[in-house]
Amino acid sequence: MGSGLWSTDVYDAAARFRDATGASAFGYSDGGASSVHPSLDPHGVTVRESRDCAEHPQSLAIAVLFDVTGSMRHVPRELQAKLPQLLGLLLRKGYVAHPQIMFGAIGDATCDRAPLQVGQFESDNRMDDDLGHILLEGGGGGQKTESYELALYFMARHTAIDCYQKRGRRGYLFIIGDEMAYPRVKAGEVRAVIGDGPQADLPLAAVVAETTRCWDTYYVLPSAAYHAGDSEVLGQWRGLLGQNVIELADTNAVCEIIALTIGLGEGVIGLAEGLEDLADVGSTAGPAVSAALAAIGGTRLELAAAPGDLDGTSGNIRL
Amino acid sequence: MNHVIVVDLGYGDAGKGTVVDWLCSPLGSSFGGEPVRTVVRFNGGGQAGHNVLTADGRHHTFAQFGSGTFWPGVRTFLSRFMLVDPLALAAEAAHLAAVGVPGALGRLAVDADAPLTTPYHRAANRARELARGRDRHGSCGMGIGETASYALGFPADAPRAGDCAAPRVLARKLRLLRDRLGDELGPLDAPPVADLCEAYRAFATAVAVVDSGYLAGVLRRGRVVFEGAQGVLLDEWRGFHPYTTWSTTTFANAETLLAEAGFSGMRLGVVRSYLTRHGPGPFVTEDPTLELPEPHNRRGDWQGAFRVGHFDAVALRYAVSVAGGVDALAVTHLDTVARRPVRVCDRYLVDGRRVERLDPGPERDLDYQSRLTGMLLRARPSYSDLGGDWPGVIEAALGAPVALLSRGPTAAGKRAALLSRRAA
Repeated sequence: MGSGLWSTDVYDAAARFRDATGASAFGYSDGGASSVHPSLDPHGVTVRESRDCAEHPQSLAIAVLFDVTGSMRHVPRELQAKLPQLLGLLLRKGYVAHPQIMFGAIGDATCDRAPLQVGQFESDNRMDDDLGHILLEGGGGGQKTESYELALYFMARHTAIDCYQKRGRRGYLFIIGDEMAYPRVKAGEVRAVIGDGPQADLPLAAVVAETTRCWDTYYVLPSAAYHAGDSEVLGQWRGLLGQNVIELADTNAVCEIIALTIGLGEGVIGLAEGLEDLADVGSTAGPAVSAALAAIGGTRLELAAAPGDLDGTSGNIRL
Repeated sequence: MNHVIVVDLGYGDAGKGTVVDWLCSPLGSSFGGEPVRTVVRFNGGGQAGHNVLTADGRHHTFAQFGSGTFWPGVRTFLSRFMLVDPLALAAEAAHLAAVGVPGALGRLAVDADAPLTTPYHRAANRARELARGRDRHGSCGMGIGETASYALGFPADAPRAGDCAAPRVLARKLRLLRDRLGDELGPLDAPPVADLCEAYRAFATAVAVVDSGYLAGVLRRGRVVFEGAQGVLLDEWRGFHPYTTWSTTTFANAETLLAEAGFSGMRLGVVRSYLTRHGPGPFVTEDPTLELPEPHNRRGDWQGAFRVGHFDAVALRYAVSVAGGVDALAVTHLDTVARRPVRVCDRYLVDGRRVERLDPGPERDLDYQSRLTGMLLRARPSYSDLGGDWPGVIEAALGAPVALLSRGPTAAGKRAALLSRRAA
């Protein structure tokens, strides 16, 4: 039998939990790991699935992939600490009833040990495990390019999401980074990192077009990163994603940016309401979010393109 | 996958904590082939007190965290069969950090369906125990029974781990709980609902609260140890009524969890080489003259005295039987009996009759269990010298192989009996 040894003082407990928050997020890298955690290894993955189930009948797939190379400096670590709040933010204000969130990370396939890390779509706090397992490599080359195209290829060909397949609603893909994608998806890299792959290299624009067919895709460039405000980087992504390129002044506002972008996209809120919601939950990210989202403003239409309906040049499908 | 279920066959305190710690240690993988990734709690609540001592002298009494937590990377999952006390978890994590295990909350996952033990349950528990006076049941005073009975009586209203992230739902449930218990027992000495909600919300942010599919993934990904609390002789249905606990202390809950995910586990029964009991209730072989050292079990304010006695093969055979059998035994405290006059009771004398077996009664028949209690309170032990070494004596007495021997409090004091015998 037991002892009842441990204090149950409610005020001490609250303070201790607050101190502990986020501590779990750093586990894997800080433990000295130097390779992709098995649960995040894309090699041999057929598809990452976001499926409806009894508990979550109207699933909406959301993927957040962030650049973990050196040019991002301390940003990946901040994201790792911050992103566990995303689920709560989406649910609290009712932007999405059944979000299923996947976290992943992007490196450089030409020189990194972890060019791509992809978690599972989760509808509870398990997504935090994936986040904690992400290896913060801090590598990457010096050419202002990282393997974003490989991540886009994975999202296009190795995900299966019920929101799109059953209801024709695209999922949301957020890529947080500060550099350009390589101009081609290289067949050899796909084979090495993911396992199967195309016979020949694929042009970046074609892969983006394929990705955006089922993923409403956003590129977020935090100003704390090395290449913040770089016109060449912004130029490439605007060419690929149009207005879905967001410059973010405050890394701490990343959850809020994602939540409001989804709220706007789902047509649940306007920007003004979203900013009120942020104030309501005690977030101080309002000004940063307001500035970043001013360019996006409007709402996304309800239905995405049907499979096969493809707008080749911008890759940015809007009906 | 060699998942293991660890259950105490006696009245608790047999050394489950130290056995689980050993199973999670690098030495323990000799027992199952690969490292343990997760410890799962499947009964009881925060009243468990599983002591673990490390080789470098650090000590922790595990109440809710799995007893494998000293080992890096070993996680804890509190299943829906566990009564979770978030406030005590915070203090336990703080002590773990103080003994060199920071970030324990980050290695914890809790089933959203697990009922919460709150200060209201605790206050009601104490009010009731005080009213019972001398007829106390040996409750820990932590609200475990109140939590279990409220969750049974009002399943939809019982606060659960999953409510912690939904402040409005939680506040409604807490108010209802406070008012219902208060109507019955008078005003409860406990903090206001709003303050509790705030602490519980912080809990949900610091700890992974997961849905029903989580455990299946854990069981697929790595080896799991299921850590039982209390002991089979205290089982709510099979223990000696009314001196029991509000909890199923056999392998049953763990096997339910394993079966849901399509797995099975090895059933490991833990016994001391003598017997102990906290608080009142039958204890046929009790012998206060034994004076066995007990560094970590003290008199609890709410449980009464810590009692010791000789090895009771009759009661433990009954435990093996009502638990549905064991695959193997772990025998602890062998270092203690080596230097003391501890004996083996192989039969009782009851009203002039010899009793070697206690027959398990019908399922869920508390009248039968009460009669069993009456009989045990009249029983006198009869000791016999079975000869041979202690592990051999215990194997013969309980009819199961001894797989683990513990001769000291740390993982280094333990070894896998089957392996060491083969080597010898």
